[in-house]
Amino acid sequence: MTDTTSATVSDTTVTTSTVAGGGEPTVEPAAVVFDVADLDVYYGAFRAVRNVDLKVRQNEITAFIGPSGCGKSTVLRCFDRMNDLIDGCRVEGQLLYHGVDLYDSRIDPVEVRKRVGMVFQKPNPFPKSIYDNVAFGPRLAGKKGDLDETVERALRRAALWDEVKDRLRKSAMGLSGGQQQRLCIARAIAIDPEVVLMDEPCSALDPIATARIEDLMQEIKTDYTIIIVTHNMQQAARVSDRTAFFTTEVNEQSDTRTGLVVEFDETEKIFSNPADERTENYVTGRFG
Amino acid sequence: MSPVDSGSEGTPLRLNFTAELEQLRLQVEMMGVLVDHNLERMREVLRSGDFALAAEALRADDDIDAMNVSLTERCYEVLAREGPVASDLRLVVSVIRMTSELERIGDLALRVVKLAPAHDVLASNPRTFDILQTMADEAVDHFRMALRAWSGADLDLATGLATAPRTMDLHNEQLMQALVGLEGPDAVAVALRTLVAGQALERINDHAAILGARLRYLLTGDPDHLTAEVR
Repeated sequence: MTDTTSATVSDTTVTTSTVAGGGEPTVEPAAVVFDVADLDVYYGAFRAVRNVDLKVRQNEITAFIGPSGCGKSTVLRCFDRMNDLIDGCRVEGQLLYHGVDLYDSRIDPVEVRKRVGMVFQKPNPFPKSIYDNVAFGPRLAGKKGDLDETVERALRRAALWDEVKDRLRKSAMGLSGGQQQRLCIARAIAIDPEVVLMDEPCSALDPIATARIEDLMQEIKTDYTIIIVTHNMQQAARVSDRTAFFTTEVNEQSDTRTGLVVEFDETEKIFSNPADERTENYVTGRFG
Repeated sequence: MSPVDSGSEGTPLRLNFTAELEQLRLQVEMMGVLVDHNLERMREVLRSGDFALAAEALRADDDIDAMNVSLTERCYEVLAREGPVASDLRLVVSVIRMTSELERIGDLALRVVKLAPAHDVLASNPRTFDILQTMADEAVDHFRMALRAWSGADLDLATGLATAPRTMDLHNEQLMQALVGLEGPDAVAVALRTLVAGQALERINDHAAILGARLRYLLTGDPDHLTAEVR
């Protein structure tokens, strides 16, 4: 754990310094939102993921791909400190959010989750009205009074407004799977997060609903930084700017498996000419 | 270039796809052999003016063209059905580009073959006729090198082809000098036909170098090798 900061995540003034200066005439890479270095995640004594190194950049879509059990979702959940909710889960190494140590003891996880929204694999709307689903986050954050504008803006941003504007007070459970997932995206962005985490957001959806979500991701990335875990490699190739390929290795003594990042690069590179043979074998689907 | 790399862990998957890619690779080699036969016929027709052999070459070129079409269609089908990526994608794209190069080389060989009726004219000037045959030898040699490089996935050979000194330019220069100095009533007739043959042979040689560049791209993924073109 780094111990460099007295700031909390709620200090909005903290910005990255990694792209400042340099004097390079080429296009500067986007600012670093999450800077992960040598990150290990343990469940009790078991090391689930080891030595993760990657930088998540602003207004980009970063995809995590890899076989089941390789730690993609485990690492994803570090970014909004959801792993805190799991007994015995421990995170070691560096995870900086705009230069601030996300696992510093002074950081309030609730504050983190205001900045970092999450969309899950299965659409999980609350058994409430469409309106109340979207208004839930802002209300929880203490927003009082008229939320109509907030709800409409979030639903428009999630490309759902035109489909639901006449039935906002009806139950969200009556929506189709694809609409429910877009509602969950609306709910995630209603609290104005900076980052949206998506854990296999399309795996329960048909191709048309999937295409809608993918279009939506492209559209909202101008405002948000997105990290997506996906088993659909074509999806990672289509939507993401950078891709991290995770895999597992067997631990000789205990016969358990630990996840690791084999390669992290621009998506185009990963799917056209990956540097590591393990990446090549995975993306070409040749070995399983 | 076995698709099943050594050092891979886990169970091999997508076996039909893997077999199809290997088939594509072999079919390119077979098409290359057909082109090679026709280059050999071209060389002999250039030397002897053999009409029967020229007719044989014309027929064989139809097979080359048909193979180009069928292989291209197979590649499109693989692209549509399998969504290849990484080295698989490079292979399919390379096959499409290689077959069109091979088809082009076949056409250029026919340009020389079609000069069979003018053989006596071509051969009437020993100096230029000699240079033409040297150029044909060199073009055929280069093409064979390209074919060997492809069948063995030989990066060194491919690099050698793409970066070989351009001796063909030298022959071409000698040919031009000889043609400019031609005199007599047949000078124009000899010059025109020799020029047609010389240009075709030079371009066959260029296309062989491009085959080398295509293979370098396939093997390395370095986009620099994508840009090689006949100038």
